[in-house]
Amino acid sequence: MSFKAAISRLNRLPLIQKEYNFLTSVNHNAERQLNESSKSAVHYPLKNLLCAIKDNIATSDLPTTCASKVLENYTSPFNATIVDLLKTAGAVSIGKTNLDEFGMGSGGTNSHFGATRNPLFPQQDFIVGGSSSGSAAAVAADVVDFSIGTDTGGSVRLPAAFTSIYGFKPSYGRISRYGVVAYAQSLDTVGIMSKSLDTIEKVFEVLNKSDQKDPTCLDDGIRSRLHTSSKLKGKLRVGLPLEFTPNGIPKELQVKLLKVLENIQERGHEIFPVSIPDIKNSLPIYYTLATAEAASNLSRYDGVRYGMRELGSDIIEDILYAPTRAHLGQEVKNRIVLGNHNLSSESFNNHYIKAQKLRVKLIDEFDHIFKCSNVLTGSEGNEQGVDVLLCLSSIGKPIPITKYNNATSKDPINCYINDIFTTPISLAGLPAISIPTGPSETVGVQLVGQFGDDFTVLRAAREISKNIITT
Amino acid sequence: MLRFTRHYVSTVGHKEFRLLPDFQLKCGLEIHTQLNTRNKLFSRSTNDPFDSYNAPNYHTSFFDVALPGTLPKLNYEAILYATRLAVALNSEVSSCSQFDRKHYFYGDQPLGYQITQHYNPFSKGGFIELTKALDGIHQERLHIDILQLQIEQDTGKSIYKETDQTSLIDLNRSNVPLIEMVTLPNFSDLKQIHSFIKKYQNLVRHLGISTGDLETGAMRVDVNMSVNDFCRVELKNLPNTSSIMRAVEFEYKRQVDIIRSGDAAKLLKYSETRGWNGSQTVKLRSKETTIDYRYMPDPELPCITLSAEAVKGVKESLPILPDKILHRLMASPYDLSLKDAKILAINANGHDQQYNQGELLNFYIETFAQYTALVGSSFNAKLPTNWIIHELLGNLNKLEFPLSSALIALPPSNFAELLNLIHAKKISSASAKLLLFHILEAAKRSDVVEPVNLQELIANFELDAIQEVDPEELRNICLQIISEVNSPKLLEGIASGKKKGPLKYLVGQGMRLSQGRIKPQLFEDTFKQLLGVEW
Repeated sequence: MSFKAAISRLNRLPLIQKEYNFLTSVNHNAERQLNESSKSAVHYPLKNLLCAIKDNIATSDLPTTCASKVLENYTSPFNATIVDLLKTAGAVSIGKTNLDEFGMGSGGTNSHFGATRNPLFPQQDFIVGGSSSGSAAAVAADVVDFSIGTDTGGSVRLPAAFTSIYGFKPSYGRISRYGVVAYAQSLDTVGIMSKSLDTIEKVFEVLNKSDQKDPTCLDDGIRSRLHTSSKLKGKLRVGLPLEFTPNGIPKELQVKLLKVLENIQERGHEIFPVSIPDIKNSLPIYYTLATAEAASNLSRYDGVRYGMRELGSDIIEDILYAPTRAHLGQEVKNRIVLGNHNLSSESFNNHYIKAQKLRVKLIDEFDHIFKCSNVLTGSEGNEQGVDVLLCLSSIGKPIPITKYNNATSKDPINCYINDIFTTPISLAGLPAISIPTGPSETVGVQLVGQFGDDFTVLRAAREISKNIITT
Repeated sequence: MLRFTRHYVSTVGHKEFRLLPDFQLKCGLEIHTQLNTRNKLFSRSTNDPFDSYNAPNYHTSFFDVALPGTLPKLNYEAILYATRLAVALNSEVSSCSQFDRKHYFYGDQPLGYQITQHYNPFSKGGFIELTKALDGIHQERLHIDILQLQIEQDTGKSIYKETDQTSLIDLNRSNVPLIEMVTLPNFSDLKQIHSFIKKYQNLVRHLGISTGDLETGAMRVDVNMSVNDFCRVELKNLPNTSSIMRAVEFEYKRQVDIIRSGDAAKLLKYSETRGWNGSQTVKLRSKETTIDYRYMPDPELPCITLSAEAVKGVKESLPILPDKILHRLMASPYDLSLKDAKILAINANGHDQQYNQGELLNFYIETFAQYTALVGSSFNAKLPTNWIIHELLGNLNKLEFPLSSALIALPPSNFAELLNLIHAKKISSASAKLLLFHILEAAKRSDVVEPVNLQELIANFELDAIQEVDPEELRNICLQIISEVNSPKLLEGIASGKKKGPLKYLVGQGMRLSQGRIKPQLFEDTFKQLLGVEW
């Protein structure tokens, strides 16, 4: 990317922002920073690249709001590790991107700053998908080269599919979460979104580092046992999970998936039907664990030390901070209530512990499918196993915001269904990438690899996109 | 008002408390102990919970104040300290213990939860043995069983300002590492409770893992108690040992009264938590108002996995435990009394003390060894005891001079030499006292302290006992003293033996005049001769 192109993108920013509402705050120093890094003699790996950072990632120069009223005026005194890594690599941020409040949502509509609109549907007010809605829109609208999102149950992959871009969620623990505001940290993963696989690989190289500040970030000991490049040679062995081909998927999406499969076969790769029965439990497991962790993580937003505080007495019926916490959005409140229910002494052993056990069982089933070993579980890998799994990224396509809001207000479960293909992968911490099925096509397919086998996923993505783009 | 309350309480408290044979007391203790690690439990902030007055909220990191995006970072020093305690208590360290979140809202609880260990505590089992000989309990020996040890964060501190209806919050204490130790209800009388607290307090000090002070809150004791197996009452907010004792006494009487009145089935049906207001226990919480803490395994903190070898390594590095030291000091060759042995083995409060237990004990043992080497089998075990425990420590406290500095001037070899001189009567006890004080005072004043040359000092000050006293000179000194007394009545009393006491006075005058260099026996003999003593 040239310096000139970057400047011209920056100039378009105000107009695009007005159109799609994808930023929560703008970096007004972007042009100066771009100038500095461009003129520097240092060889920056991400020189002249513009990026956007999801607004649940701490930055000291711009607010970190998580698109929530309770953090509306909050600016972090420190940068997230990844923000510093990107800066050091020469990338320039244009600002912070809109999201579903605290990452909770699949539409990109639960934001204190209003819904993000999909750049592929100008003047039509379509959803981008969430929760990394602004990050996806920034890439789709061509104002950045890449953006940083977070993916807890599909929040990078779903909006990537809805905006026809790549959305890469690496293995859990590959990228530091220090400075990433926790939603459900046993699942939270930093992801990279772009229209270019080259860019995704370059950015991943910059961010794929151990971090002393994050106890869940893979340490150098474990990293040394992971592949540093793809061991893939020759033909790909692609698994097609039977559980990911349920009835009720719109015909149009089925056709897209079949077309991808045909292309893969034509190139001489092999496709195997595989079965992971516990995938059917994924949504209940996910919404038990994620909401419990969320309820716990969000209890710090009491307004005592930072953020907004309700004036006057902050107690309702002996419940401390109830008035302040009433300012959280409805979906966030729903999940806190659900999470607290799951953690309550009556249901903890029934719900939370059971969900944890089922999660382990699910990981075990994934281990049986892959050829590659799993350094975390000690699974040695299945000789007859597959290199990657392939499935759709979503069960639907983007719809108008009003329609989406009506459907979810009628039945909140509606928006949870969108996560059906993405949550099992998150629960197992596997690397996955959503790939568009064609230019401006808002249906994506996901490629999924064994834990730590991120480079095989990227390599396979390159192989499969080649087919898609040419057809 | 305050005085009145205190007075009232103390009379109540001391009115012959006695357990009644028909009302069986059953107690267990929960003790929270702050670990004095350099840093906090999950952050790199300095662990200094008592800096509040000077700088509230000073020792806080982004994590301690729960800023969004921060992550806990386990301090392994706290794990080491916990392992020391577990091993010393014979508690079995779990091969994989885990942290859990305990949720409740409070102003001084920034995360909205406390990180503790609920499902898989750090260690399980273990015991402390109390004995009649060392701990003064009524039974010969008693095992107090330990249920578990868990590691957890301390909370911040709130100070409620009545005048403007606000709370001040200080987070210096937030995230300070604590160990919660829970015993089984093995206590059946107050002496046992008192001895256990003292013993546990000394143990944590001895292991160097906590100051163990109740007054500062570094150690906090909660008591679970029941009478005749009615429901359990938990007593909290007990700031010192006497509050603990008085609260248990009060609560025992309260429950006995309830049982006697026949209301126990109703009033002692549900467990409740009671506090101590200085004169009585008051209800804080009952079962109906109990908070559901919604415990959840912490999703970002790893399991603490400790190998058997690591635990063994810690075990081998432990200092000798206090009971063993006491037994050793009370046996030959030291033959110390329990009281003196405790001065060497038991950590007192430690703040205004001029020494720490370890260095004092080492000094004693080393000096004792060198002294006995010098004098051989005729050693007097009381000499090192008196001169170290009483003279040396007394002087250090008087001079406010730390033992560690004094030891430069008087290393064990020099102190043993001093003892040897006293032993051989080459220097009188009185002279030795003067000399010791002089050495310490000089060392305190001096910038460069170096080992003293005793012989030289003794010669300089002419302190050595005069081996050959000229009888004529001695007679003259005694005559001078007698003439100065100028009381025939007193002298007659001595001579006739009706009032023997004043003879000591005369000898004392002689010692003073000779600066202690002439043996008192010589004076006594001369006075007797001069006064024609008949007895």
